[in-house]
Amino acid sequence: MSTKVETALEILQKQLNQPLVAALEVCARCGICTEACHYYQAEPVEAYMPSMRAEQLRQVYRSEHDWLAKLFPAWTNAKPLSEEKLAALAEMAFTRCSLCARCTINCPMGVDTPLMMSVIRAMATATGLAPEVLEMLADAAIEKGRDPSIYLDFFLDSIKDMEKELQQLTGNPLARIPVQKKGVRKLYVALAGAHTILPAAAIFDAVQEDWTLSIYEAANYGIFLNDVSRAKAICKRIVDEAKALGVEEIVISECGHAYYAMRWVAPNWFGEEFNFRVTSIVEVIADYVKRGLLDLDPTANPDPITYHDSCNLGRKGGVLEEPRLILKAVTTNFRELTPNREQAYCCGGGGGLVANPDAFNLRMLAGKPKLEQVRKSGASVVVAACENCRLQLGELSSHYGAGFGVTAIADLVVKAMRLPGAGQTVEAKMTSTLESVEK
Amino acid sequence: MTFLLLTQLLAAAAAVFCIAAFAIRLRTFLRLTVPKDRSQLKGSPNAGIAYALSLGMLPWAKESTRRHALAYLRGVGFHMTVFLVLGLFLASPWLGLIPGAVRAGLATLCGLGSLLALFGFLSRFIEKNLKALSTPDDYFATLLVSLFLAGAAAMLLNLNLLPLFYLVSALVFVYMPLGKIRHCIYFVFSRLFFGRFFGRRAVLPHSQQQEGIA
Repeated sequence: MSTKVETALEILQKQLNQPLVAALEVCARCGICTEACHYYQAEPVEAYMPSMRAEQLRQVYRSEHDWLAKLFPAWTNAKPLSEEKLAALAEMAFTRCSLCARCTINCPMGVDTPLMMSVIRAMATATGLAPEVLEMLADAAIEKGRDPSIYLDFFLDSIKDMEKELQQLTGNPLARIPVQKKGVRKLYVALAGAHTILPAAAIFDAVQEDWTLSIYEAANYGIFLNDVSRAKAICKRIVDEAKALGVEEIVISECGHAYYAMRWVAPNWFGEEFNFRVTSIVEVIADYVKRGLLDLDPTANPDPITYHDSCNLGRKGGVLEEPRLILKAVTTNFRELTPNREQAYCCGGGGGLVANPDAFNLRMLAGKPKLEQVRKSGASVVVAACENCRLQLGELSSHYGAGFGVTAIADLVVKAMRLPGAGQTVEAKMTSTLESVEK
Repeated sequence: MTFLLLTQLLAAAAAVFCIAAFAIRLRTFLRLTVPKDRSQLKGSPNAGIAYALSLGMLPWAKESTRRHALAYLRGVGFHMTVFLVLGLFLASPWLGLIPGAVRAGLATLCGLGSLLALFGFLSRFIEKNLKALSTPDDYFATLLVSLFLAGAAAMLLNLNLLPLFYLVSALVFVYMPLGKIRHCIYFVFSRLFFGRFFGRRAVLPHSQQQEGIA
């Protein structure tokens, strides 16, 4: 047995807990989950059956843990782990499953196939078989957290510039983007780039929120690797920042996996119940809308608009109704995709696939059911509260010439906001700001 | 010692083996950790679990079971018959006390259950995806259960066939904890973890309209 195989089996052994063993043992191979998978919907081949994917790990599990299979491997199709088998498992778990959990919700037994795929990902990461790009992205985030002083001056300068844009955008010369301000209520954690900072800042300004911006980015590629040490290190930067600032709430930008990691998994990595809340900016905006804190003009968004439920935010995160509440308040022509909410199809870019250039063809294939849903809805704009989903949806639209646009919830909210005393919608302001920048 | 008594003892011994093997399996399973979820609640794990073990099992509760309604109902039907036959096994020494008409009714149910199991067995040969998924264990287990239910039906119609039923039962009890049929003890746990996960997040039980234009 090679070292790689030994290491992978050790990882499998360490991860064997009740939920995993239940998932490995309970499947009756009835195949009822089959069409739940967007890969299978796109290309109905056996390899894309969720039960067939899980079976690949079960073969190894049986070979290690089932004495009947040890005596008669062919009887249960048990297969010992080899380097070839491990490579095939890794390729499958990182490119042919986006961990969307649609199969789980449709399985009569409730088999947690994403859990099994995550275990394979952990086995692959520990043996150097994970996609390099995911490791690089995770390591880069950890490195930035080790010594923020390297980029802090540059970051603060860019925030100063952004602040000017914000003042123009909101018509409020006092509008600010506070960074690492102590004692505020909300710590907002954005993604790389102004597009996830400015709209949120405009909304916070409009409701006079007591907030501050994190110097870190929310993205957490460690979770895609199922590498707890990396994923925890990435979250730790933000958790430590929140504790040092004494905030009541961490607000994660419109990013599915970052929300899922910080909201649902991080407390378990840290072994503590956080003394602050973790929310998505979508939940925060929905709360503002519900409380009537935002003055919104839905006619600013008259196009046929639909909403794509990000798997991490929706089915796996529970943020299902909040986006709808917002969209109904800021648009005049909202329509649902069918199916939606916990039965929504993955866009094909989840599970880190969007970051993996080698997976481009596969994710274009896996995105077909979503594309078809959008086409059927007749929407010209798809809203997604997840950066990776937006990237994938945008690429699907251009790859297949579907011609729909993609946007974030906060962008639509900002478009629908009436600015105090300005008599101009933010959309018009944004356009004029862009025009002046271009000139 | 009569042949009937011999087969009865054999079946009883097999049942003891089955219970002991399942007890060991269950003890091994329960010794594994259950990761504590420290995330703040959005919904109710208990409501999720209750849903997962009740309404969530209804044929129309999931897209997949609506799509595969016949296969799902076939599965439900034959699993329910298995429980009925296990009850009949326990009551077998006193079956003669049951009126003939009741026994005939029970035999019909067992016969139907057996046919459902047989369809399940045959579908593994016919349906491309199922065939690809199936292992010899799957074929054997389904056929064995089909025989178990058929044996019960035959025995109910003619109590002289009790030894035959005991022999099949013994085989089922020995195989149950070893092969595919053992999935039965993990079912409740799997649904429990499922309900806990989605209940905690307020994804299930859902109260909103799921499909169509909202």
